[in-house]
Amino acid sequence: MLGEFEYLLISAAAGLGDRAYGAAIREEIEVTTGRRCSIGALYTTIDRLETKGLLKTWMSDATPQRGGRAKRMVRVTPKGVQAAKDFYDAVTRVSHGASWVVNRTGRT
Amino acid sequence: MTSIHWRLVEVLARLLKPGEREAVLGDLLETGEGAWRGSRDVLGLVIRRQLSHWKNWQPWLAVFGLALPGSLVLMGTSVSVSSMYERLIDHRIVVESPQAIHEGFFQLLCRSLLLIGCSWACGFVMGSLSRRTLWLSIASSCFACLFCLLRFREPSLSRLCLFLFLLPAIWGVRQALRSIRINFVLAIFLAIAVTAFMILLSNGRGLWTLNWSLVWPAWYIVATAQRTGRQVGQS
Repeated sequence: MLGEFEYLLISAAAGLGDRAYGAAIREEIEVTTGRRCSIGALYTTIDRLETKGLLKTWMSDATPQRGGRAKRMVRVTPKGVQAAKDFYDAVTRVSHGASWVVNRTGRT
Repeated sequence: MTSIHWRLVEVLARLLKPGEREAVLGDLLETGEGAWRGSRDVLGLVIRRQLSHWKNWQPWLAVFGLALPGSLVLMGTSVSVSSMYERLIDHRIVVESPQAIHEGFFQLLCRSLLLIGCSWACGFVMGSLSRRTLWLSIASSCFACLFCLLRFREPSLSRLCLFLFLLPAIWGVRQALRSIRINFVLAIFLAIAVTAFMILLSNGRGLWTLNWSLVWPAWYIVATAQRTGRQVGQS
């Protein structure tokens, strides 16, 4: 099963779609979680997920906004989508009955 | 980020692979990262990358199985070659008979060839095992050299005698870094030659027995040459 940060990264990349690359994913994670995301954690996790076949990465063309440097683009593979879905389902199932979920849904 | 800070980040990023360096520096430029955070991020990634290499057994073997013990033993062999040379060339009068001179020169030739063969094989295996952690293998080897240099007490020999192994070892490392594929026949020739010289020179006494630890890199080259030969054959 995925780790927490792996899930966040896959979800952020999936949400960004064709605009998913290092800096954009990092910003997305930082904005949505309110936690700092280091470049080291980001790129080593991307590598690990790519090795597992959950992500595919490639270098884009160089852009002037980045000082003529290329982006490392990221795409979630079908296997990655399935792994994220499994993680989400597991979290949803295990949270069932937890006080914060019960309160949120109005159940007692 | 000022130009000096950016320069620092670029210097740190040189420790990354070219593709990754490009993406990371581009990300930092795009997000307008601060100098401190940018340097810390790049340094963090560099450390993670370096540490990840140590999950494999190869860098450990290169440092603790080759660089440290290999350097010590090769320095011993270098000294033995130098002292034998000194005895034969500089003090030839001491040698009693022409038969002893012939034997002495034969021994010197065998030891020199053994030293060259073992040093080259050790350098080659060290380079091929620890390509990305080579700096630490080299540092370990330098540490061993320094250790011996400080304790070298042989008035008749120059301290440079310790380092006769260095040139062939550096040559081996360079060839490994250039990814030169060793022909199986050449590899087996080297391994048999090194083993034969070792048997020939082995007297079963004292520190010479330690030299047997220098034989395995030559046979490791044979094993890898055979494996790559098979892979090429299959493809």
